[in-house]
Amino acid sequence: MTAIALPRAVSPGRIKIGLLVLALLAGWALPYVAGPFAVATATLALIYGLFALSINLLAGYGGLLSLGHAGIFGVAAYGVGYIASRTEGGYGAQLFWGMAAGLAVSLIFGVMAMRTRRVYFLMVTLAQGMIVYGLAQSLEPVTGAENGLTGVYRPAFVLEDWQFYYLSLAVLAICAGLIQVVVRSPFGLALRGLADSDTRLAMTGYSVVGHRLLGFVLSGFFASIAGILYAYNNEYVSPSVAEFNTSAQAILMIILGGVGTLSGPVIGAFVIVFVQNVLSLQIERWPTVMGLIFILMVLFARNGFVGGVTRLWNRYVRRREEP
Amino acid sequence: MSGEYLLTQVLNGVSLGALLFFLAGGLTLIFGLMRIVNLAHGGFYLAGGYIGFATVTATGNFWLAFLAAGASIALLGLFTERALLRRLRGQELPEVLLTVGVATVLGDLALAVWGGDPKSVDPPAAIGGTLQLGELPYPTFRIFVVALAVVVGLGLFYLERRTRLGAIVRAGVDDRETIQALGIDINRVFTGVFIVGSLLAGVAGVIGSSFLGLLPGGDVEILLLSLVVVIIGGLGSLPGAALGSLIVGLVQAFGTSELPQLATFIIFAPMALILILRPSGLMGRPI
Repeated sequence: MTAIALPRAVSPGRIKIGLLVLALLAGWALPYVAGPFAVATATLALIYGLFALSINLLAGYGGLLSLGHAGIFGVAAYGVGYIASRTEGGYGAQLFWGMAAGLAVSLIFGVMAMRTRRVYFLMVTLAQGMIVYGLAQSLEPVTGAENGLTGVYRPAFVLEDWQFYYLSLAVLAICAGLIQVVVRSPFGLALRGLADSDTRLAMTGYSVVGHRLLGFVLSGFFASIAGILYAYNNEYVSPSVAEFNTSAQAILMIILGGVGTLSGPVIGAFVIVFVQNVLSLQIERWPTVMGLIFILMVLFARNGFVGGVTRLWNRYVRRREEP
Repeated sequence: MSGEYLLTQVLNGVSLGALLFFLAGGLTLIFGLMRIVNLAHGGFYLAGGYIGFATVTATGNFWLAFLAAGASIALLGLFTERALLRRLRGQELPEVLLTVGVATVLGDLALAVWGGDPKSVDPPAAIGGTLQLGELPYPTFRIFVVALAVVVGLGLFYLERRTRLGAIVRAGVDDRETIQALGIDINRVFTGVFIVGSLLAGVAGVIGSSFLGLLPGGDVEILLLSLVVVIIGGLGSLPGAALGSLIVGLVQAFGTSELPQLATFIIFAPMALILILRPSGLMGRPI
């Protein structure tokens, strides 16, 4: 899919590591310098950032844009919520079933979507996500329908908002590291190869379907972690987690930050979540604003923030090297 | 299961299928020619429905509602194609994402203007009441919709297969460069097809407003069903859209009456089956 151009990773590694350390320091310092509202909002941004990263793993590197990942995110959240509120199972059981549900759905969705490509893949994943949303709304005995599931409580060690913030930060950092490992691995290379030309990869003996499926399930794994975090952070699960808007918003975060980059989706998540939380206090029509940003980004700034900065940086470096 | 129950459900399924065909037909035509999956199609439907509702409320004339909804959504389609999509011609993914943005804006504006309460439009007296089918009374309006869908379907099919315009469209599907080399302005054909698809979606909104009702979120629901239709029927195929509409309509009708809690899940089954056995859909070309 040529549409998602990967910004070339030309910027020197040292600068990247420096920026990463700075970001982690800023993340660590935030609760000391900012008020409770900012901490709660940042927690949400971290969770959505992880969710956006999971979609980006598939879209930015594998060229497969899923429009239904909110379904996986939601199923994992509902898994936690169901065990917590309907069976009174402990945290071990909640985590286990949340993850198991997320992975099972990823596998089923993956198997269905594997043989499709491009626009077909978009449509199939979109329909999958909508079906989870439909079930969340109608399958009252399991999901509580419109009332949702209450009775999810944070474990004792992350009861306070700032504690949960640090937990989310740690989980995001670990997951981002894992995603980086996956992307750099031979599997990650093959995934990128698939995005460029799957026929060529098939000719060289790679299993296209196998790689896609593994990529999908891996992506679903990270989406499930985000969903589980969301359930505990919110202490309530309702159909809106699986809404199409949740997926659309995550995709906007990716586009805003930069497709196929590791930092872009997280930066995008912070921008969107903060803008939304500040704007929604002032204007009622947040979705309209979001839709307009969507249109403008797609039309005029498709490389996103990180892509744009990388491009400027490359131009600067090139100019310095060729006097 | 009595015969009457079966007949009612079959009729419900066929008439829902007829409504879906108005949407899926447009979706599939637009995709076939332009390779765009217009995810704003549900938004077009809902906006058309609300415009129809506003027209009926203001004038009391149902036929005028058809006209107003069709015309204004056709204009909206013209704008979307000319002002937005044209800038991204040929870039599949950005095109789809753009329509996601349009859909979000439309859905939210509809909520802002018409609020969250369900709205519905009563069909005019001439096609209002019920029709006696043997022993069974059945709403005339639904039968009218089926007849309309058949007429529109045959008309589209005739246009596509038997006219010069259809030949141009089909040639555009096969080979864009050659048709341009022959001196045909393919952009105008694109715009035309997009407008026809939008118009059908707007008209479908008015139809839907009187047999499903209008509700925020109705855009997403109808888009889901239409997507399943084109996945089953095969993207780009008009007969596929007709067959898919019939299948999805019937499955949905029986699903909602037998297992209402699982209705959305039940349409999943035929879709999953098709995707695993025949990913290009029943009548689509191999992908």
